[in-house]
Amino acid sequence: MALSPALRQAYPVWPALFAALICAAPLVAVAALAVSGEWTGYLAHLWATRLPDYLWVTLQVTALSGAVAAVTGAGLAWLVARYDFTGRGVFEWLLAVPLAVPAYAAAYGWYDLTQGAGPLGFLPTVRGPAGAGLILGLTLYPYVYLLAREAFSGQSSDAYEAARTLGARPFEAFRRAALPLARPAIAAGMALVIMETLADFGAVAHLGAPTLTVGLIRAWAGEGATAEAARLALMLVAFAFLIFALERTQRARARQTNASGRRKPARRVQLGWAAGLGAVALCLTPVLLGMVIPLARLSYRALHAPVTRDLVSAAQNAVLLAVIAGVLAAIIGLAAAYALRTGKMRGVFAARTAGLGYAVPGAVAALGVLAILSALQGGLDAMWTNLFGTQFPLLVTGGIAALIFAYLSRFAAAAIGPSESALARVTLTLDAAARTLGANGRETAWRVHRPLISRGALLAALLVFVEVLKELPATMILRPFNFDTLAVIAHNYASDERLGEAALPALLIALAALPAMVWIARRIIRAEAAP
Amino acid sequence: MSFRFASCAAAIGALALSACSPQPGEAGEINLFTARHYASDQAVYAAFTEETGIRVNVLEAPADQLIERLRAEGARSQADVVITVDAGRLWRAEQAGLFQPAPELAGVLENVPDNLRHPEGHWFGFASRVRVVVFSRERADGSQITDFLDLADESWRGRLCVRSSNNVYNQSLLAGLIDAAGAERAEAWAAGIAANMARAPQGGDTDQIRAVAAGECDAAIVNHYYLARLQRSGDSADRAVADAVDMAFPSLAGQGSPFNVSGAGLAANAPNRENAIAFLTFLLSETGQRQFAELTNEFPVIEGAAYDNEVLDSYPEILAVPVNVNVLGENAPAAQRMFDRVGWP
Repeated sequence: MALSPALRQAYPVWPALFAALICAAPLVAVAALAVSGEWTGYLAHLWATRLPDYLWVTLQVTALSGAVAAVTGAGLAWLVARYDFTGRGVFEWLLAVPLAVPAYAAAYGWYDLTQGAGPLGFLPTVRGPAGAGLILGLTLYPYVYLLAREAFSGQSSDAYEAARTLGARPFEAFRRAALPLARPAIAAGMALVIMETLADFGAVAHLGAPTLTVGLIRAWAGEGATAEAARLALMLVAFAFLIFALERTQRARARQTNASGRRKPARRVQLGWAAGLGAVALCLTPVLLGMVIPLARLSYRALHAPVTRDLVSAAQNAVLLAVIAGVLAAIIGLAAAYALRTGKMRGVFAARTAGLGYAVPGAVAALGVLAILSALQGGLDAMWTNLFGTQFPLLVTGGIAALIFAYLSRFAAAAIGPSESALARVTLTLDAAARTLGANGRETAWRVHRPLISRGALLAALLVFVEVLKELPATMILRPFNFDTLAVIAHNYASDERLGEAALPALLIALAALPAMVWIARRIIRAEAAP
Repeated sequence: MSFRFASCAAAIGALALSACSPQPGEAGEINLFTARHYASDQAVYAAFTEETGIRVNVLEAPADQLIERLRAEGARSQADVVITVDAGRLWRAEQAGLFQPAPELAGVLENVPDNLRHPEGHWFGFASRVRVVVFSRERADGSQITDFLDLADESWRGRLCVRSSNNVYNQSLLAGLIDAAGAERAEAWAAGIAANMARAPQGGDTDQIRAVAAGECDAAIVNHYYLARLQRSGDSADRAVADAVDMAFPSLAGQGSPFNVSGAGLAANAPNRENAIAFLTFLLSETGQRQFAELTNEFPVIEGAAYDNEVLDSYPEILAVPVNVNVLGENAPAAQRMFDRVGWP
């Protein structure tokens, strides 16, 4: 590894610094608010009353959603990557689609079904920390699934086959040979699930599982105590920082895993009809629970409700925003991954900072963006007036740039994870070989790295695409007049307790995500087939 | 690689500049910030546009977010009119200096009861709602529910459903009680309700009504129009829920029923002031008032406004708390801390 510092540092750090600037800006604004804002004594009051409860519920909900997502996501990724059964080709992408269901929509649907008066009232009501953890796990597991599938199918089968040859039963070989290699990917997925859970408000509030985020929104909405809400947000960020640190120890432990750089793609094992049926049932379960059943309930409600809004333009708006943000976020993700690869202090610092914004609840992050934009507007107005005698055009009301900025600052973390774990697969020995053969840094990146990391980058773009499709608080607060997205319409109706009217836009979010899911799945499969 | 990043940076820069698109604000339109998410409001806007030719640009978002945005936009705000569904939020917006008085409206506002508008005319209610108790026809006696204070009695132990205190309607209810009965009695009441709950708070107001119908609890605290909505629903299961329950209009510590408003005000920096005044006037017009009563089951604020709504007609005469709804905002922070102390999640 004596070569490594020179090779590592062949890539520039400044793009990551630029990315970090975008991503960290709202967090910095929130921190500034927390430090400078008025102290109303609310935190002391909270400490004496609800805070311990908030923390306990937060712990329960995140632990459950993380566990559900990890087991479901990693297990099914293994099934789909290594076994062949009827319908596998469909499940390969279908399993990712529940990610497009907003957690609050699933929560509204399930609660409506299982409450006493509901058609499934005989079941335990989906509510409280257990209900919220389940719902969040079942709608967010695709994070783990997507990353783990990528890791399993990119994995050389050497280790697994060696274990089998040495007499390990399939599950044992999976646990001891395949799982450790995929651990960084699974950990990255879980980190995303947990941070998303931390930031959720809609589902936990409806199901009566008050997490720290509920306390934060209460401080802001009930008391108008923006600064106190910002302080609670910093607590959430600290929590996220911890999760990140844990995830990184996982990744560090997996460093030695790609020693050969040689890939021998595994041949999938053909399952018999009985086992195949079992596999289909396993794959169907999370899709039914996380998506089909709750959306079907909402659709039933839709039958009794009029369609009153222009959903077509809302869908166009949502897709446009999601595509732009997805592409830009993938670029940021790659930049951060390369910066991390250099091992330079400021590179690593920049990339880590860029990732932190994710755990800040969207509503607070949006406040940060708003503060930054209004400061920027003030400065630009002053400058413009001096130069041209007129005020600078409006940043927020004028267009979608403010929205894109907000999305990138919030979701870049979702893009950094996949890029980083993909780039981890490019060993330094590969770089060394390319250099020995006379390639410069750019050529090495294009001809050696690109084929290996393009799947990771696509995944990053897909994750952010879906996130933006269902994003709420920033869209709410920063969008121009007469500009709705599907998520905004769905949420406005649901919060007004009009589930029927909320159903169609919620369904359309999932439908809008479908083509992208299928396309990306195809691309990934093709990349696998290529030498 | 660095070239590609540079080009991407340029792309982001270009996007930021694309923000410099034409602004709304030419003659013939108003920009509306509204926290109401009722599809039927579109019909109100359409009626306004038809009558005046003025186009209505809408931004719908929760009130707290609208307030933050107004505050951040400051003098450059494009908003002309701000609408919320709770007096507490109107109070907060007014405290932040986001409204301006509209003397032009003085004549029209004379027809709005004093207690449903800001003392200096910074905002006014254009439709009202009342917090009520929905109870099981089989398991509860409506004649025993004459005051909200009754529900804190031990005889209701384990029989009540009510949503979380995160909800602004509950905050305003307690804020009203603080004014009507004093802080000490209000806190004791909140503690009594928390002790009487049949289950941990969950779901929305409609879900509380469904729980009463399903037998999970005997009575629930909700806003009146949620039951009206179920009664007029196209789904027979919803109407069955509505049939299993009845509604009482209890008083707040003997002072009258706890009314709240959907209210509107003229934004402090309204660029289209004249059009905004026209819109605010329209909200109180015969057409506007009729639409709120018929489409969202709210009470018109103008005495004697004509409308056609069987459900509203079936209600008895309801006497409102005489106090100004402005207090709901003033007492809201105190109410929220009370909820925290007594353990009403």
